[in-house]
Amino acid sequence: MMNTVPGKARAKRRFNPRNFWLTTMVLPGAIWLLLIRYLPMLGVIISFKDYKAQKPNTFWNNLIKSKWVGLDNFKFLKSPATATMIRNTLLYNAVWIVLVLVIAVTLAVMMSELKNRFMAKAYQTMMFFPYFLSWVVASYFVLAFLDPTSGMIPSIQKSLGLKPTQFYMTTGPWPIILTISNLWKNVGYSSVLYLAAITGIDTTLYEAAAVDGATKRQQVWHVTLPGIRPMIVILLIMSVGKIFNADFGLFYNVPQNSGPLYPVTQVIDTYVYNTYANTHNMGMSAAAGLLQSVVGCLCIVLTNMIVKKIDADSSLF
Amino acid sequence: MKKVFALLVALAMILTASSFALAEELPTITIMFHGSNVTDDTAVLEAVNDYIADKVGAKLEVVWGTWGDFDEKATNALLSGDSSIDMVFTCSWSSDEYNTYAKNGYFVKLDDLIDEYGADLKAAIPESLMQAATIEGAEGMGIYAVNGFKDTATQNTWDVNVTLLNELGYTLEDFEAMSFYDFGELFAKAKEVKGDAFYPFLVEPMVLERMVTGSIIVAGDSGSTNLLSLYLNQDDVSQEGPYGNVLLNKFATDEYKAFVTKMHEYYEAGYIDPSLAVAETSNDTRTNAQKTGDYLIGTQSYAYGYEYNPEVLDRGIEVAFVPCTDPYVDTTASQGAMMAISTASEHPEESFKFLALLNSDPTLMTLMNYGVEGIHYNLNDEGLVEFTEERANYSPWTNGVGNVTILPDTVDEGAGFREHFKEYYAGAKAIPSLGFVFNNADVANEMAALGTVAAQYALALDAGALDPETALPEFLDALDAAGMQTYLDAANEQLTAYMAAK
Amino acid sequence: MQKAERRSAGLNTFGPGAQALFHVCLGLFALLCIVPFVFVIIISFTSEDSIRQIGYSFAPLSWSTQAYKYVFQLGGALWRSYFNSFLITAVGTLLSVSICVLYSYPLYRKDYKYRGFFNFLSFFTMIFGGGLVPTFVVCKTLLGLSDNYAALIVPLLFSPFNVIVMRTFFQTTVPRELIEASTIDGAGEYRTLLQVVLPVVKPGIATIALLNALAFWNEWFLSLLYITKNMDVIPLQYLLMRMQRNADFLAKNAGMLGADAAKAARNLPSQSLKMALVVFIVVPIACAYPFFQRYVVAGLTVGSVKG
Repeated sequence: MMNTVPGKARAKRRFNPRNFWLTTMVLPGAIWLLLIRYLPMLGVIISFKDYKAQKPNTFWNNLIKSKWVGLDNFKFLKSPATATMIRNTLLYNAVWIVLVLVIAVTLAVMMSELKNRFMAKAYQTMMFFPYFLSWVVASYFVLAFLDPTSGMIPSIQKSLGLKPTQFYMTTGPWPIILTISNLWKNVGYSSVLYLAAITGIDTTLYEAAAVDGATKRQQVWHVTLPGIRPMIVILLIMSVGKIFNADFGLFYNVPQNSGPLYPVTQVIDTYVYNTYANTHNMGMSAAAGLLQSVVGCLCIVLTNMIVKKIDADSSLF
Repeated sequence: MKKVFALLVALAMILTASSFALAEELPTITIMFHGSNVTDDTAVLEAVNDYIADKVGAKLEVVWGTWGDFDEKATNALLSGDSSIDMVFTCSWSSDEYNTYAKNGYFVKLDDLIDEYGADLKAAIPESLMQAATIEGAEGMGIYAVNGFKDTATQNTWDVNVTLLNELGYTLEDFEAMSFYDFGELFAKAKEVKGDAFYPFLVEPMVLERMVTGSIIVAGDSGSTNLLSLYLNQDDVSQEGPYGNVLLNKFATDEYKAFVTKMHEYYEAGYIDPSLAVAETSNDTRTNAQKTGDYLIGTQSYAYGYEYNPEVLDRGIEVAFVPCTDPYVDTTASQGAMMAISTASEHPEESFKFLALLNSDPTLMTLMNYGVEGIHYNLNDEGLVEFTEERANYSPWTNGVGNVTILPDTVDEGAGFREHFKEYYAGAKAIPSLGFVFNNADVANEMAALGTVAAQYALALDAGALDPETALPEFLDALDAAGMQTYLDAANEQLTAYMAAK
Repeated sequence: MQKAERRSAGLNTFGPGAQALFHVCLGLFALLCIVPFVFVIIISFTSEDSIRQIGYSFAPLSWSTQAYKYVFQLGGALWRSYFNSFLITAVGTLLSVSICVLYSYPLYRKDYKYRGFFNFLSFFTMIFGGGLVPTFVVCKTLLGLSDNYAALIVPLLFSPFNVIVMRTFFQTTVPRELIEASTIDGAGEYRTLLQVVLPVVKPGIATIALLNALAFWNEWFLSLLYITKNMDVIPLQYLLMRMQRNADFLAKNAGMLGADAAKAARNLPSQSLKMALVVFIVVPIACAYPFFQRYVVAGLTVGSVKG
């Protein structure tokens, strides 16, 4: 066959309508990505340059003509605060990834199994609320509890004749306060994603399990969880990729950027922000951003490799 | 043939017409202000553009930066070489810090333009301000921004609630005879009278530290928490201080130790609101207590005429500002509000002409700052400015616009205010190291690390919230580990060189 | 429809004890989530005096509607920015959902040749970015995103995260046979997507739409960067953030600004006014949320009605 109509076969290889039409679908997003994400990536070289205005003063000219300084911009890592902020960033993120995952999946499963659908919806609506509020607003809420003069907890302590705790001067309670704040804000959001995934599970699977005599608990274990596994894995890989990035608002606004709390609240993002506010050093911010990207990239590739070993279908790429 | 000729004529006419139109079209220059509260500038810009069309030869557009967005907007415009912004506010404390940005080539060197178009400007602005703006920039020593004429000296004062002071049985004279270390008895009495929930000592901890120890801000030092200090001669600010012209680690001196020890004592005794020790809550706390007059003694960095401000008048108490020192002219204060021209600008000449006119021409300055007469303000019989309700939609930050001494007096200030204002600051003495700016480029990494350490301890110590017995040695060790000595040596080397050249 | 059976079989529900436990857990957490918002409402109705005297409290000394009166005094600016928020959110969500679905559908198709390439193209941008200034330069000078609505919509149009979520939805809910069947029927790729696939992934689309709508509704940083002269296009969220940032700036720079800071601070809005604005911002999206939610949990609801 091939030999008899070679022209046709080649034409087929050249133009495949399926690939063509599917490519047209991808195109708007791809153009957006190239323009708004890839083009600015040239700016990454600022990390290795002493960026200054040149003559004539246009951005691309400045970018090209500024002096190379090698790794000078990364020297901020030599600061004694580095170990603390990296430890804080990694530790908080690692613990929270696990906590958010477990709690959000549990809540999503509970919601999907409630017989009272009205209440299930009500709970879900309420849980999503914190996601609407910014950290700035949330920090007022925390302040209302902890403020040394008029906060609720110090007020209660005073009325009991105790010495009020100076929350914004005491490091001890903050790992817990930050954890609660983070869970409060993010669990509802994640559980909506999981719930949506549960909704998509083919119900015939449950029927089949029920016919086999599986109890509800077994069904959750053998049908629901495997059904949302792709979603779990993807959200997990994503958050592992962001393990070097901290939620700025949480670490900056909620502790009111209080200095004495830095040993437990300083993370890479707040450190870079505070330093930029003091030094206005653009090269350093760019370097810190690049570092976070590279580490995030490594983490994702690594996690993905592990996932691929365990379950090839769920891996990201 | 006729047709072709007619066509040619028509074409020629169109061409001349269009080139004529082109010549008529004035270039647009854009200026970016800081701290403005402007929602409607149509009337003002119309009047301004009528006024400057011939004098400047350009059309003005304004970007009204607010306190909250100026830093991002300005640095973005400058760093990205945005040619749509011609003039931008700069100073020693904004993100587009004057010395750094001039050094890095973002600002046009103005010396030639001043020689050509700046005669009026030079006449309107004191020589000392021109000098304060003269720095080592990308194009060598020169002036890189038009320096605004405002309160050009620093003066810190005690903000005293005289009503309460009298109630406690003291007079203002009694208070003036006291020092910071004697305030304890006043506070104890105030607590007795006003109850346990009353906090008599309402401070900005960082300002208080400078007031008590006599240290000053060194331009170019780490931003919100200064590390270096130069000690002032508190009796005569124009003379060398107790340590000479040497920069010290602010936190390692005996003065500092004595200060924080006393503060901790006051704090433990309940004289200071704990909220003042936390960066983000301190200002709200202070403003609220001021509004209601719920304090006995506070701190205030003072500008002439501040006591006539509605902010002070509305407190419902009698307030007195008792100076700690004479006003002194230092680099920070004399670079407090300037206007630079971006090197990305396509119209530097027109921009400079505009800035020169703005800072020397009362009509234009009044228009830009107070708005249009009959809309935003009216003049009363004495010729004083009385603002209308429209002013709420047009209130630029007065000091950020430029030369405030050519503005007319307002009803609140009273006749003759500007004259007194000028006299007051003309009489201010300069500190010996005026003009010195620490170039921190070589120790930027140390500065970053030190800034973090200082932010952890300094405010809490200054407010008395930490026990200096334990916290101060810890703090000093941490500073050493972060490279304090390197930082200090670099700064002193530069200062010595500067003083020798001066 | 298939879900009807699921809840009728005895083995298919948890017992009353477990149900009660679920209600307690969910209820407590849900309550915890809603309390701050109630608190914000209370603060917005708290009088300035009460805030000054006892700070924020669930039981203020006195109530006041002053903050709302101030909000309404903002007048034209308020309603204009409110309108802008709605406009930006509506247009932005519509466009970004379309782009997202169009982008992620081919990535789900195993028979699409360039799947790996485009997958990577999108994914890579989640980790690497060019930074603020370069992006600003491209958007402003190259694309002309300045002082217009486009500047507040275009930079947010695409989210690699949403693409991954959407692709996962396709993978888990659309059986590949469905597409094969449709292709055999001779339907074009667009018709297959619109008529066969989309109805199946409604929950996914609703989720994506919700995430996008929230992103647009809460966005303020773009206004800060790209809107310099034309304040007619700014959204409500920026109005609030501007007040917040003004206050923060003055607080931080009080030492440097001296007397000027105190003068300026006088013009700042009160806390209760800010809270009132928060209420204005949250209420519409909270009202719109159940609408999205209906689709998100559509399948389950169908099941419970039939069962």
